[in-house]
Amino acid sequence: MDCYTANWNPLGDSAFYRKYELYSMDWDLKEELRDCLVAAAPYGGPIALLRNPWRKEKAASVRPVLDIYSASGVPLASLLWKSGPVVSLGWSAEEELLCVQEDGAVLVYGLHGDFRRHFSMGNEVLQNRVLDARIFHTEFGSGVAILTGAHRFTLSANVGDLKLRRMPEVPGLQSAPSCWTTLCQDRVAHILLAVGPDLYLLDHAACSAVIPPGLAPGVSSFLQMAVSFTYRHLALFTDTGYIWMGTASLKVDVGDMAMGLVSRVCPKHMCSRPRSKERAVVVAWERRLMVVGDAPESIQFVLDEDSYLVPELDGVRIFSRSTHEFLHEVPAASEEIFKIASMAPGALLLEAQKEYEKESQKADEYLREIQELGQLTQAVQQCIEAAGHEHQPEMQKSLLRAASFGKCFLDRFPPDSFVRMCQDLRVLNAVRDYHIGIPLTYRKYRYKQLTIQVLLDRLVLRRLYPLAIQICEYLRLPEVQGVSRILAHWACYKVQQKDVSDEDVARAINQKLGDTPGVSYSDIAARAYGCGRTELAIKLLEYEPRSGEQVPLLLKMKRSKLALSKAIESGDTDLVFTVLLHLKNELNRGDFFMTLRNQPMALSLYRQFCKHQELETLKDLYNQDDNHQELGSFHIRASYAAEERIEGRVAALQTAADAFYKAKNEFAAKATEDQMRLLRLQRRLEDELGGQFLDLSLHDTVTTLILGGHNKRAEQLARDFRIPDKRLWWLKLTALADLEDWEELEKFSKSKKSPIGYLPFVEICMKQHNKYEAKKYASRVGPEQKVKALLLVGDVAQAADVAIEHRNEAELSLVLSHCTGATDGATADKIQRARAQAQKK
Amino acid sequence: MAFPHRPDAPELPDFSMLKRLARDQLIYLLEQLPGKKDLFIEADLMSPLDRIANVSILKQHEVDKLYKVENKPALSSSEQLCFLVRPRIKNMRYIANLVNADKLAGRTRKYKVIFSPQKFYACEMVLEEEGIYGDVSCDEWAFSLLPLDVDLLSMELPEFFRDYFLEGDQRWINTVAQALHLLSTLYGSFPNCYGIGRCAKMSYELWRKLEEEEDGETKGRRPEIGHIFLLDRDMDFVTALCSQVVYEGLVDDTFRIKCGSVDFGPEVTSSDKSLKVLLNAEDKVFNEIRNEHFSNVFGFLSQKARNLQAQYDRRRGMDIKQMKNFVSQELKGLKQEHRLLSLHIGACESIMKKKTKQDFQELIKTEHALLEGFSIRESTSYIEEHIDRQVSPIESLRLMCLLSITENGEPKRPKTDKAAGKITDAFSSLAKRSNFRAISKKLNLIPRVDGEYDLKVPRDMAYVFSGAYVPLSCRIIEQVLERRSWQGLDEVVRLLNCSEFAFTDMIKDDKASSESLRLILVVFLGGCTFSEISALRFLGREKGYRFIFLTTAVTNSARLMEAMSEVKA
Repeated sequence: MDCYTANWNPLGDSAFYRKYELYSMDWDLKEELRDCLVAAAPYGGPIALLRNPWRKEKAASVRPVLDIYSASGVPLASLLWKSGPVVSLGWSAEEELLCVQEDGAVLVYGLHGDFRRHFSMGNEVLQNRVLDARIFHTEFGSGVAILTGAHRFTLSANVGDLKLRRMPEVPGLQSAPSCWTTLCQDRVAHILLAVGPDLYLLDHAACSAVIPPGLAPGVSSFLQMAVSFTYRHLALFTDTGYIWMGTASLKVDVGDMAMGLVSRVCPKHMCSRPRSKERAVVVAWERRLMVVGDAPESIQFVLDEDSYLVPELDGVRIFSRSTHEFLHEVPAASEEIFKIASMAPGALLLEAQKEYEKESQKADEYLREIQELGQLTQAVQQCIEAAGHEHQPEMQKSLLRAASFGKCFLDRFPPDSFVRMCQDLRVLNAVRDYHIGIPLTYRKYRYKQLTIQVLLDRLVLRRLYPLAIQICEYLRLPEVQGVSRILAHWACYKVQQKDVSDEDVARAINQKLGDTPGVSYSDIAARAYGCGRTELAIKLLEYEPRSGEQVPLLLKMKRSKLALSKAIESGDTDLVFTVLLHLKNELNRGDFFMTLRNQPMALSLYRQFCKHQELETLKDLYNQDDNHQELGSFHIRASYAAEERIEGRVAALQTAADAFYKAKNEFAAKATEDQMRLLRLQRRLEDELGGQFLDLSLHDTVTTLILGGHNKRAEQLARDFRIPDKRLWWLKLTALADLEDWEELEKFSKSKKSPIGYLPFVEICMKQHNKYEAKKYASRVGPEQKVKALLLVGDVAQAADVAIEHRNEAELSLVLSHCTGATDGATADKIQRARAQAQKK
Repeated sequence: MAFPHRPDAPELPDFSMLKRLARDQLIYLLEQLPGKKDLFIEADLMSPLDRIANVSILKQHEVDKLYKVENKPALSSSEQLCFLVRPRIKNMRYIANLVNADKLAGRTRKYKVIFSPQKFYACEMVLEEEGIYGDVSCDEWAFSLLPLDVDLLSMELPEFFRDYFLEGDQRWINTVAQALHLLSTLYGSFPNCYGIGRCAKMSYELWRKLEEEEDGETKGRRPEIGHIFLLDRDMDFVTALCSQVVYEGLVDDTFRIKCGSVDFGPEVTSSDKSLKVLLNAEDKVFNEIRNEHFSNVFGFLSQKARNLQAQYDRRRGMDIKQMKNFVSQELKGLKQEHRLLSLHIGACESIMKKKTKQDFQELIKTEHALLEGFSIRESTSYIEEHIDRQVSPIESLRLMCLLSITENGEPKRPKTDKAAGKITDAFSSLAKRSNFRAISKKLNLIPRVDGEYDLKVPRDMAYVFSGAYVPLSCRIIEQVLERRSWQGLDEVVRLLNCSEFAFTDMIKDDKASSESLRLILVVFLGGCTFSEISALRFLGREKGYRFIFLTTAVTNSARLMEAMSEVKA
């Protein structure tokens, strides 16, 4: 225990700082750090070094090298820098490397040195060159701020959504500011710069001079400034050797102010530390590191090597050629437990557990002591929390053991916090491993933005798929969020391996992914297509179960025909339609029609659409197919719907008839020709006789003629169109009855023998309630229907006689059913008798 | 008289949930356009909408005026217009004209188009072509299942028949699949699935795909409906083309039942105005006669009238207390029953007037002759006479179609000058080579009867056609259910030209209760007739099943023929 606090350094009365090694770096640097442009990403992110920058005049033939290492110094990428001189490097929140060139171009590289994209910071920057640049992080993402040769600032608060802002001019600024930094307040990025003894705050609209409250007089220049990770605190280093610390708002917020004479040498780095009991700033010089706080005393460390400081949320990472260390304030829980002679419940519990392992009775004494004070719950909580802050697994274990030991004596201690801590530590220890090199602290992992999702993303970004999957499985994340997502990323990476054949890649991907829910094969295929591997993309799409996802990509890849068949397979007509319209624009008309021809479903769909929207296209479609039958129908339709004038209609019908002939549909052709003749005739009738004839059927035309008394013409028409005799008789019969022209009807009935018999005459007369006329015809009805006719005219008795004569059973019962009540009593008896007689025989 | 269900008949699931669901969704959509608005409703949607949400509910959600979507300029003065339409191109044009007219007049209003049951890409494209895509907001009202009765769900998509079977347009298949998906989400997946027909197969496969994509929740549900049977209308046009003689079918043929209700004209109500009557199981009188052969209905009704009179008469001998009881409890019910009874008697009279004439009997006789396949010559001459007399073109056409199919699609086309286009269309779609004769023989569709078929005590499903013919569609369903598969029906399937499209699918599910296994959902793609419904209801009673019907629309012979003839736009 004593030695455990050996690396603790007190700052003021209440805080301790400790520095411990994260990794020993074996990155084998040839150059000194100071000769390189260095950028290290926060949250234990990667380190980028651009060796051989242009500030030293060297032979132009030697190209600089850009190296990317993990935080543990494992090389991730190395590439020759072929573009222009770089002024500044920085990492974005998505762990993309932003390289700001002198000409204002920003090149974006991935973690593995893969070029992503580039963008420019504007013409003004291009003209005046970049003097200095900073990459900074806000809640919206990562921004770039640039100081140009004309001493103007340009910034973009989010490189993902590039909006350039040119900041207002600083009045009287002739030379570069001695130091400057970006601040982020109220969700807006500002620039704070120092020119001689003056400080200016630049926002979008204005430049305002600010004076830090309580600044010691005599300052003629600010040499360095630093803002805390969260932009809440600011530290200024003056040429008088003072450090001013306060809130970043620079408002009169005294008490945040502290001064201490340190040195007249300009510090290399300053990192401000908020969120602790003691505000402090870490200052580094060539060989000296200092933690300065409110207290008069400061902590000093000697640096053996050239070092680089990376500000983190809860501390500072310090790396040099050989080591990577972490400096932070000892968290409260750890301090309580490990402080020398601490009587905190946690400390006692840890002690108790140790004694218990030694099988010593002291364990009981310690435990009793805690229990008497009623602080056991607190003790367990302290131990759990402290475990989180420890870097060494051994220490974590012993603390957790103590917690678990203490838990046994508690009735109701909710287990979640303990379980969660164990899980978290396992994950953290795994990623802290030298090979992985993500030195995350518990606080960063749990309390700040970096969730498990982001952590997994980072592992995926480093192509550490197996570890990511293990973590998912260990934490039992739902497949869709966890394993499937990672597998999809893996597949996307896999398709980029150009040296592997399409078949192998597709097979490998399908083997691993199978039918894992939540994996979108179309996304992977889209990636493959993005890499120019269309064939692979198509192969991958085969595995995509949802056609809706396949089709758009196939269209994008210009595999429209395949897309069409997929769309048809899906049965989703909307999808088919999408493809159709795409094809229509893409292909020339002929090819488009040919494609349709092989796809009946698509064809009928398109026809439906054309019927409503593009009638002409429909015609072309039928023409193309030599579908004369449909073409004929089309013209028939056109003759009724589109044409107004009779000539036009007849012409359309003629075209239709021709088409029907071609289709060898003689019937339809003949019928169409008849209709043409009829139309012409009807027109003539209208001209000569007046009245409405057009669009009547032949039958109705003849009827109308008869009703109008034009019997001659009616006969003529019937002959011309060869109306069958039967039909004509029916027609005349009905028409004459309607006219109630009984005389004419009788004449007609006698004109020759009726082809339809005389029953209809009876019926029709009865319909007009003319019993007298009906009876005339009833006598002429043939024997088979005689009974019916007689019944119709109501002559039951005679009907009975005929039926008996016929000896027809059916007829007999029919008559019987017509016998009603008393009047026909005699008739009924007669029938019954006849029946009886018939049965006897 | 009316057949009671067997005591062990399973309970039907509660389908009123579908109504509530549709209503809530509609209200939600209306609320998306806050403030007063005028609602334009497509004519076809009016009756279904009426069954879901009445005017007062619409008013509650700030619908100001209601208009019908028709080819007339709208005179709405509201600042917000909401259109409730089927996804049809002509509706899009209507909306586009309206919006563009507003634009010309420099008027800005809010427009919202609600497509029911879903929107189609083609519609959106038309809106885009007309240049108003950005001016309107589009939404979908996924209202695809309307419970018309306790055992009858209708999609109310009469155009399904024409679109799919005549035009080969498959867009409604997705809607069917969605509807099945909804049912399986609400009432559990169906453990046993059968189907026949290309459309049935495609709908089924699409639905399975939907289930797979979205599995999870539905899996755990205990299936309430044990079987599903999908059937394409083109498997059996014969049944649909026949005149109906079961009461409900007759009412449909005569008065046209629209969306579960019928308009009885003055000749039925024996007053001077028409009356809209809801026909479903809640109508006690109707419920007892709906499945009866028409020849029994009148006798039943008069019996009922006598009973009713007797019940009224009981009050003669009552003392004050009994009378009080009678008035407060029974009288209302009796009055209600009285009202219904007089309505149905009126309807019967009206039907009798129209149908029991000789014409009708001759017609039925001819139909039966066609079905049985004898005296073809007489039937043909009957049809010729039918044409000669110009009775009704649609009727003539129907008989010709029936002739064509029953004679195995060898059309003996009687020459006619009228409506050549209609005939071409109808024939090209119907007169495919059918094998009706062989199927009829194979499945024994024409019962051999010795003596009179007693319609009062039906023996088989043939009673719905006076004992002359067992509906083919129902027979197929009966046979498959009996075998629990298509096994042994290979020949029939081949004769139906459907070898590729007959399927059985058993999804292993031990949770299905024996109760649910006797519930069968029959899906008619392209519509079904009331005769078929009655026949299957009869089958259910015989075998202890309950059938639930899902149809794209309730159809009959006239609707079928009208759907196939071209309407002048």
